[in-house]
Order: sequence, then structure tokens, then C-alpha cells
Amino acid sequence: MTETAISDDDFQRFREYFYRRSGIQFEPSKRYFVDKRLVDRIHATGSTGFRDYFAMLRFQASGAEWQALVNEMTVNETYFMREDYQFECLVQSILPELAARKRRGEPLRIWVMPSSSGEEAYTIAIYLLERWPQLADFDVEIVSSDIDTRILAQAQAGLYSQRAVQQLPAAWLQKYFKREDGGWRICQMLRDAVAFTRVNLNDPREVDAYRGFDVVFCRNLLIYFDDASRRQAAESFFDVLRPGGFICLGHSESMSRISSLFRVRKFPQAIVYQKPLEGL
Amino acid sequence: MPLIKHIATASVPPALAPAPASAGQCDTALLDAPDAAVRRAAAHVLGDCPEAVPALLRALEQEVEQPVRSAVLAALGRTGSEEAAAGLASCLRSEDAWLRNAAIEVLRGLPAQVATVIAHLLVDWDRDVRILAVGILDTLRHDCVEEWLLQLIEADPDVNVCGAALDVLAEVATGAARAPVERLLERFRGEPYIAFAGELVLGRLARSR
Repeated sequence: MTETAISDDDFQRFREYFYRRSGIQFEPSKRYFVDKRLVDRIHATGSTGFRDYFAMLRFQASGAEWQALVNEMTVNETYFMREDYQFECLVQSILPELAARKRRGEPLRIWVMPSSSGEEAYTIAIYLLERWPQLADFDVEIVSSDIDTRILAQAQAGLYSQRAVQQLPAAWLQKYFKREDGGWRICQMLRDAVAFTRVNLNDPREVDAYRGFDVVFCRNLLIYFDDASRRQAAESFFDVLRPGGFICLGHSESMSRISSLFRVRKFPQAIVYQKPLEGL
Repeated sequence: MPLIKHIATASVPPALAPAPASAGQCDTALLDAPDAAVRRAAAHVLGDCPEAVPALLRALEQEVEQPVRSAVLAALGRTGSEEAAAGLASCLRSEDAWLRNAAIEVLRGLPAQVATVIAHLLVDWDRDVRILAVGILDTLRHDCVEEWLLQLIEADPDVNVCGAALDVLAEVATGAARAPVERLLERFRGEPYIAFAGELVLGRLARSR
């Protein structure tokens, strides 16, 4: 088998395309990382070289190879406290603003989509308990959804590896987890506090059941979608949120590139997107 | 404990949840409802109803609420019909920049349907329409993208249209593009952008394996 190499031009062409579609920018210092994964995918798909592979990636109707490639090029694993500046933003900026508009007794509702194995939803619950004193005055509902029922069962079980919890402050780990089966089991109180549900974000009828949320976390999901699916997801999030509600995306994702339905809000901790207060 | 579990199955208020569309039951009248939320919900439902395309296109022209327009556009894309693609293609002539750009975004997601309208768009009398049509091809997943662009650069008299086509060719060109790009360079000799973009395409082709 001849050795597959990625030329400077190939790399440039690829990084321009990948950035345009995913919002992820590869600096030249990442060249080795990118080349290695590209070559892996060229071999895995039986392509004859970069040009052949790139044409397939670019024009494949199903988009399956795009998804496989994004999996290779991104960190798929999730863990507690991942991109924690957004949780800081939640408790320091977003929730205080929302709380100021809430009527007495009205709950705050947070939707995490995709749930994956639950780390994000549980991190939010812990953040609220530890970092948001106003929690004493509000009921908060956390709903965490995914299309994959197996991963939801895993989330409900709440058993995590050392790697998944390593970013948690030791005090929080001791307080909310216990050692079990070589890993860390999250406490029953938190497992009871998060509702895990199955939903397909790309099916508007399934999403119809989800309304009246104040905050949506949808991080590192839309990069996998094609343009039409992203637009549909943005439409769904608009309907899911109450007026003035917020949506938090992954660090490489931008709602402004997908839809003009939301406004950009720059908080000291993070940039998030807001459904306009007025109007629908 | 103020963290409470609640399964999110609260039903949508009935007024905002028109019954799912089924064959022969596409209630397009709701697109004219006084309540914008109802119009938006109706548009979402009609995305599953190809017969509703004419009504959706009409709503796109008349609707003033941005969230409703956005839902109408998404619905037109979801119908996946050639009629929707043709209607969206006509939006390229709109004075409304948001509508032009949004139509392009939707058309990029309809490769098979775009194939039925792109030939006309690429020879449109209005060069702005031709440039916007090249914009559709920018991320269109269709095997003929390169072929359409090469036909364009062989014939189009406008330097800006050809420049836009070269920008896309820089990404998608194969060996088949070499001769047409060389002829284009010759045809627009002295045009600095064509020289720059054309050499970029040829350089990438020469160095590509």
C-alpha cells in the first residue's frame, strides 16, 4: 500500500472547509493531529487519496462520513465541569437575570440536550446547589434528554470513571459521590433531581412536548448536523424557550451562523444566545 | 429541596398545536391567523405537506413577523419539493437581504431539487442573481457542482461572477477544471482578482496528489 500524505494545499483546503462547516479552526500547530486523523479516514473509507476522500466528504448525500470525521477530530468524551465557564455564567449572570423576571412560585426550567451520560446535567445541579444562593427561593427543574436510550440508562445509573470526575473539586466529589464498583456513583438525591427523557431533536413533533424552558444547554451537538438540521434545531430551541430564555452552545459553535432568531448576549463569563423578550 | 424532578411532557397549548398534517388535510388557512404564534406553529406542521408549498411561498412574501418567516422557510425546506426550490430560487431577486440569504441557506440543503433550477439561475440576465446562485453551490452536496461552475466560467461575461465561481472551485476543482480555468485566465487577462483566484486553483491542482 502506498503511503498517504496530506500536502500543504490539502491541509489548507481541508481546514477552510472544516472551519466553515463546524466552526472549529485548526491552527498549523495542529497539523500532525489533523493529518493523522485524515489519513485514518482515507484508509477507513477505501479512498485512493486526499482528493478522492475530500470529494466524498464534500458531496456525500448522507453526510455519514462528515459525522465520522467530526468524531475523530473532536473530543467526544464528556466529563464533569467541562467548559465550566458556562456554568459560572449560568449562576452568576443568566439565572439572576431570569430570577428577577420570575413570579413568586414560578419554577426555573433547564433543558440539557444532548444528555449523553449525564455529566452536564449533574454538573448543573451541583453548581446550583453550591454556587447559587437564590436556589433557596426557587424550584428548579432540570430535564436532560438524548436520542439514545442506552446512554440515558447510563446517566440515570450515575456511575462514573475517575477520569469523568477528575475536574470536580475534591470537596464536591466527597459530598455528592461515593466509591462504588471501581468508580464514583453520584448520590441518590442528585439522581432524583434530574429527569432523563428520550427525544429526537430533529423531529419537531417529538420536541413539541418540550416547552417553557428558561435555559437550554446544547453543547457540541450542532457541529455534527448538516445545515438544514441545524436550522431545524434552532427553530425547535426557539419554541422550547420562553421569551427571554437563553441557549448555551459549545465553544466552537455559533447560533449567529445558523439562525437570526436569537440575540447574542455577552456576559463576563461567556457568550450565549437569547430569545427576544418581546414578540413570540 | 428546591431541585425538583419534572418530566417535561407538558402539553402544548391547543391553540398553538394544529393537528399533524395528513394527506389532503393541509390547513393553510392558519397561516393567516391573527396570532403570530399560531401562524408559526402552522408553518411547522405544513412542512410535512408538499401541497402547502404555494401557500407557504405566499406567506413568505406577506409575513412580517421574523420568527414566522423563519418557520415558513424551514417548512419549505422540509417539504423537499421542486416547487419549493423554484419558489425559493425566485427569492434571490428579493430586495430583502435576509430573505435572499435565508433562501440560499435552505436551497443548499436541497441538492436534488436545486439541480432542477440551477441551470436557469446560472444564466440569469441579472449578474447579482448569478453570483447568489454560485453561493448556493458553495456547500451544495451534488456531484455536478464542479461541472456547473466550469460551464459558468467558460461562458459568463461578468468578472465578478467568474471570480465567485473561482472561489468555490478553489475547494472543489479536479483535473477537469485545469483547461477551463486556463481559458478563463486568458479571457480576463489583466483582471487582478481573476489572476489571483485562478492561479490559486491551478496551483492547488498542480500540487494535489
